[in-house]
Amino acid sequence: MKRKRMKKTFALLLATSMLVVLALSGCSGGKSAGDVAPAGDSDTGKSGKSGEQVTITHYTIDSEDRTFIEKLIPDFEAKHPNIKVKVEKAPYEQFDSKLQTLIAGGKSPDVTSHYGYGGFAEYYNKDMLLDMNDIIKEDGFKASDYSIPDDLMKIYTVKDHVYGVPVNMYVTLMLYNKDMFDAANVPYPPSDYEDKSWTFDKMVEDAKKMTHVSEDIAKTQYGVDFTWSERDMRPLYFGVEPYSQDTWTNGGVPSETHFDSPDVMATYNKLFNLILKDKVSPTTEWSKSVAGQNGDAFVTGKLGMTVSGSWSLAGSNDFPFKVGVAAVPAGGNDKVRSVLFVDPLLILKGSKHPKEAFEWIKYLVSDEVQEKSIDLSGGNPPVNTKAAEAYYKHFEGIDPDDVKKVYEGAVKYGFESYNHLITNYSQINDMFINEMQPIDTGHKTVEEVMPTIQKKVMEIIKR
Amino acid sequence: MSTIPAAGPNASSSLTKPRRKIDAVSIASFIALVVTTFLMLLPLFFMVSTSLKSKKELLKFPPTFLPETWQWSNYKDIFETLNFGQMYANSLIIGILTVVGTLLSSALAAYGFARYRGKGSNLWFMLMLSTMMLPYPAIMIPQFILFSKLNWIDTFLPLIVPAFFGSAYNIFLLRQFFSTLPDELFDAGRIDGCSEFRMWRQIALPLSGPALATVAIFAFIYSWNDLLTPVLYLSSSDKFTLPVGMSSFTSSRFRIPPWHLLMVASVLAMLPIVTLFAIAQKRFVEGIVLTGIK
Repeated sequence: MKRKRMKKTFALLLATSMLVVLALSGCSGGKSAGDVAPAGDSDTGKSGKSGEQVTITHYTIDSEDRTFIEKLIPDFEAKHPNIKVKVEKAPYEQFDSKLQTLIAGGKSPDVTSHYGYGGFAEYYNKDMLLDMNDIIKEDGFKASDYSIPDDLMKIYTVKDHVYGVPVNMYVTLMLYNKDMFDAANVPYPPSDYEDKSWTFDKMVEDAKKMTHVSEDIAKTQYGVDFTWSERDMRPLYFGVEPYSQDTWTNGGVPSETHFDSPDVMATYNKLFNLILKDKVSPTTEWSKSVAGQNGDAFVTGKLGMTVSGSWSLAGSNDFPFKVGVAAVPAGGNDKVRSVLFVDPLLILKGSKHPKEAFEWIKYLVSDEVQEKSIDLSGGNPPVNTKAAEAYYKHFEGIDPDDVKKVYEGAVKYGFESYNHLITNYSQINDMFINEMQPIDTGHKTVEEVMPTIQKKVMEIIKR
Repeated sequence: MSTIPAAGPNASSSLTKPRRKIDAVSIASFIALVVTTFLMLLPLFFMVSTSLKSKKELLKFPPTFLPETWQWSNYKDIFETLNFGQMYANSLIIGILTVVGTLLSSALAAYGFARYRGKGSNLWFMLMLSTMMLPYPAIMIPQFILFSKLNWIDTFLPLIVPAFFGSAYNIFLLRQFFSTLPDELFDAGRIDGCSEFRMWRQIALPLSGPALATVAIFAFIYSWNDLLTPVLYLSSSDKFTLPVGMSSFTSSRFRIPPWHLLMVASVLAMLPIVTLFAIAQKRFVEGIVLTGIK
């Protein structure tokens, strides 16, 4: 009997405490909604009118080469007293999940870029991006006033609607280990893209002279690493297009892909033969054992040449050997020899203050700020052609002339990375890495694997 | 607990059985233990060793076993390059409060489930257990919306408060333990006029040392290592926790990560867990002794 009473009091206690909690949360919920709602309403209504203080958020990756923008804020706020800028950040790996949650939770940032695994096409297809046309028209913004080449502006323009303003431009280039070239008595590769002698075959020839494979892993070195950019782009470099032409006009959804065609398979064979037949390139296993999971074997000084993104330049001062930059050798495509990675600044659809956000974007791409950003970020390449001159001189021990030639050639012979322009790209990329693994290790041939890849690419694209 | 009887006969037999035979076996097992211990400690050793290397030495291949130059300044640098002290303090505050919250709420709920039978109590228990089946990403967004409506974004509250509402796994663990406590103890308490709450506090809890220590360790380690929740809810640098700061170390795709500093951070981040383990282990033993007497 007594026990029953106890049980009752206990249940009562539990029930009251739950009620209290509910009431409390309800209370503060109501309060916060009350706080937010009027502010939000008035802001959207009057945004753009001067005098009213608004806060915009810039969402970015938590690493020094991205968060340097915090140092630019005081100057911007001094020039725009009505705008406050807040930087919100996340580590690289969590960039996408935090962004999705922020948007779904109604706390969408105003400005960001596709810094995570997701690309522009994915954002565009998920309807996350604001069409900037109206703002640009009202503002009178012209890319040429900011020394942004028109070609670059076009990358993030879909059907004449602008969805992004380019801010950084990374290119693909070749880095080479000068010490290793000297030791093997091989002349340095040229930085000039017009030098017709610099071909894929010549590269293999040079690489052979520097490759020494030995039982002792510490003494082994390879001539070249040509694991160039994402795997699905590589055929293009040899003059074969794996995605149909309408990729660019169809909002990131190609109608056809040709990964199982003989032409495409031949290009993959050419690249895998560097590892399997010519043996001038390391296997992924070897690279991992030398440099760790995400490391780069080149920086350990065990590779003569590596085809890589220009972001590798930023760390070049730390390399324990002398570094040079060269053109990517010609693979047989007259137009394509380099992949461009142009990062845009985007305004998200959920932004409550798009006009103020655009002011901030304009500030970030202005001549003066672009030039300042090179040093502050530790070597981010600007899209601004005037600031680019300062960028070429930024790297200790590398001839600015070479950097300039390599950049100009890359722009001339470059194409925008597929990863920004094809939908669901992170899944495509993961699939490629998994499916091609057995070729790397020599367990399967290109011919065995490509039909599966072709099937899976189409499945992912249609998702 | 099952290890005690297993170890018992072995320990006593070494005294009674002929010496030589046992020696061979124990020497062999001793060697095996030393070898596995060494293997287990190797990564740990490399962590400490790397934390004392210079940036240039990191890139060397084959890697050096011991640092060529012992760069003790790394341990000073970490506090200057990162907001390290602040992050450490944040992680500690959140971790300790999470442990307090988990112990209080889970122990109370578990006690209820273990000692009271009512209509549908099994159903409630099942319902509670089923929350374990929900993966975090499934509740991530609704939870975010809830906390943002409460205006808790960029505060520690979303990281701490949920712990005060119990967690299914810990409630289950403690319930199983509370169920093993003999009814007689509580009957005696009741006869002495003990209130229900007091029986929980003065009979159930003191007898549950090992179980509570386990829950405390789980809760602390979970909170200490959690990355996604702080990433979602915290946005000011001065509120970041250790995992957030540390994963930012490798966030730049554009340069070589400062592995040496990351290893310094890892060494320092390991300390509270090791300490907690050392303390909790003592509780484990105590608990075993207690229940043994019973």
